[in-house]
Amino acid sequence: MNESILFLTTFILYIISAFFYFSFLFSKKENLARIGFKFAFSGLLIHTAALIWRTVESGHAPFTNMYESLSFFAWSSILAYVIIEFKYKIRKAGPYFMLIVIALMALASSPLMPKEATPLVPALQSYWLWLHVAVTLLGEAFFAVAFITSIMYLVADSKEKKGQGKKSGLTSEKLDSISYRCIAIGFPLFTLGGLVFGMIWAYKAWGGYWSWDPKEVWSLITWFVFALYLHTRIVMGWKGRRSAYVAIIGFLAALFTYFGVNYLLSGLHSYA
Amino acid sequence: MKYLLKLFNSVKLAIVLLIIITSASLIGTLIPQQRSPSEYVAQFGQLANLLNRFQITNLYHSLWFLSLLFLLALNILICTLTRFPAKLRKAFQPKLIKDKKNIIVLKIKDSLGKNWGLVKTKEELKKELSSRHYRLKEEVEENKAFLLARKKTLGLFGADFVHLGLLIILAGGIISGFGGFRKNLTLSEGDILDIPNAEFKLRLDKFETEYYPDGNVRDWKSTLTVIENEKPILSKTIEVNHPLSYRGFVFYQSSYGWNWTNTSVGIWVKKRKDPSFLRKIDITVGERVSLEGENIQISVIHFIPDFILNEKNEAATRSLQPNNPAAFIEGWQEEEKIFSGWIFAKFPDFARIHSEKETDLSFELKNFNASQYTGIEAAKDPGVNIIWLGCTLLMIGLAFAFYWPSREIKIILEETQGKTGVIAGGIASKNREDFQSEFDKIMTSLRRLR
Repeated sequence: MNESILFLTTFILYIISAFFYFSFLFSKKENLARIGFKFAFSGLLIHTAALIWRTVESGHAPFTNMYESLSFFAWSSILAYVIIEFKYKIRKAGPYFMLIVIALMALASSPLMPKEATPLVPALQSYWLWLHVAVTLLGEAFFAVAFITSIMYLVADSKEKKGQGKKSGLTSEKLDSISYRCIAIGFPLFTLGGLVFGMIWAYKAWGGYWSWDPKEVWSLITWFVFALYLHTRIVMGWKGRRSAYVAIIGFLAALFTYFGVNYLLSGLHSYA
Repeated sequence: MKYLLKLFNSVKLAIVLLIIITSASLIGTLIPQQRSPSEYVAQFGQLANLLNRFQITNLYHSLWFLSLLFLLALNILICTLTRFPAKLRKAFQPKLIKDKKNIIVLKIKDSLGKNWGLVKTKEELKKELSSRHYRLKEEVEENKAFLLARKKTLGLFGADFVHLGLLIILAGGIISGFGGFRKNLTLSEGDILDIPNAEFKLRLDKFETEYYPDGNVRDWKSTLTVIENEKPILSKTIEVNHPLSYRGFVFYQSSYGWNWTNTSVGIWVKKRKDPSFLRKIDITVGERVSLEGENIQISVIHFIPDFILNEKNEAATRSLQPNNPAAFIEGWQEEEKIFSGWIFAKFPDFARIHSEKETDLSFELKNFNASQYTGIEAAKDPGVNIIWLGCTLLMIGLAFAFYWPSREIKIILEETQGKTGVIAGGIASKNREDFQSEFDKIMTSLRRLR
């Protein structure tokens, strides 16, 4: 037994879960979705064990390189999904959401990602690593759920306009409201982890809480987009399609902050 | 003036400003910031002038970007201030609704009738609402009663806390920008430096680099002593993530480097035809030493930490890090130079020795000895505590706004011929589904009461 076997087991469980979820999507048998959820949930448990194993083995937080951070992001995404599914019953989002998680896991296991646990460079030796990265990625995981439900909203809405939509269950109106709920959970988490904890750590490690580093600017851009989402919705009464588009742009901005900045722009945040 | 006030009182302006600031920030991440003019010319050619004129090369500190932030701050301030008095009234001097029409228009509403008198119905309703932590206000008029039940009223002010927090953060940023300074200091062990704008000095007692077993750096540690009026006040070993704070100044371990003056090198001398021959010599750059038992003297002329041949094919150093250490050595017999050339620590086979005279000797650069200096960043930031205050308010505000939604139930009771009719309507600032189910439970339990 070691961490990579646990990781692989998790990956397989997620794939099986996606398989059942998609069978549910095509056959409409609720039972299959329930099995899919069970596999996703057991995947989450094994994944948790894998992360703990990695932490014990390496002696530091399990998100110090791209492999670890992708795996952690996949874990927080499943966690966010399980929470939202538990509260609002969004089974139909399951298949699409599992696709994102599988993409993250596949990316993490690609040979391009170095997997060895390397000793921490001096800048990362801080408990703020835990607080900053974990809370930020958890916030982004809720943005990911909102991303999926927003896309599903757009599809459901155009179907309903053609008169093919459903009257009950996961209607477009419910999807719209779930997207908002996810952002209402993700936004405070992202603000706390990404911006506030990030500023505190930057002040402790670099001597300045804000230095307009590309990653900082991109997390600010992400924050602005979701601030726009909230203001247009709460104050100006936007709903539906326009809100869904803003939520989608917001998640893409978060994704770019997470990946794009590392590979396309250079700056202080050169760890992972 | 009135027009300006109206403009800055609109949320639409805030949205337009947010979009502009977001786009501008985005541009700033695509175009490298604060580089030298020649780099822009090399990368953008003719466009470089334009970038410079519009301060896009230093966008985040440009006047126009800061003005945009200022406009946004003004917008937030005016929006908050104009809405605040009404909110306060709503929170602390709420009005009871006496017209049924105002309840019927609400989205969450219900009505029922009981075979009880007015007083009993009202008391039962109040009991139910109090058990759910609602605070009550009531008024009775002849055969009618008006109730207002509220809870989590602070949730109304969540957004105001957030906006106040943001304004404070921006103010802190301005104070940091104008009142703060940052300076890089380099110290070798034993150095004492005057701290600019401060009444004290800083001495480096010790600097060491710790390594992991695999050779990677674990940490840099500098032991610093603060000296005030020629007396040592306190000592602290700082490392990355653990700075020293003293009188508003903070000293960070920010970099390290090598001091390559006075380097000494260790060279192994071997003979090709005699494998048992080995002489180890330690020699400072510029010195000349005799090789024991041989009629030859060796001197080290240059040492280069990161050897590279530049465009003119001359030896140069690429950096000040010992990535490719190389030494230029000469061999002398009396006053006659017999060979000279480069030897490399990492590439012993690449030694380039040009001999004037036949020699059997070979040379390997085995080690080098130079002192390291530490890079300390001295920073003074009078805005930083204001920033933390702003962040705290921001987070408290977000918590209130999203997780402490205010709820309000307005009720009109009317007694006619011994029976009482109840009309109730509710408003929640967020999370209406949860409120709806609570509202339904209250009404259902009243219905069931016998």
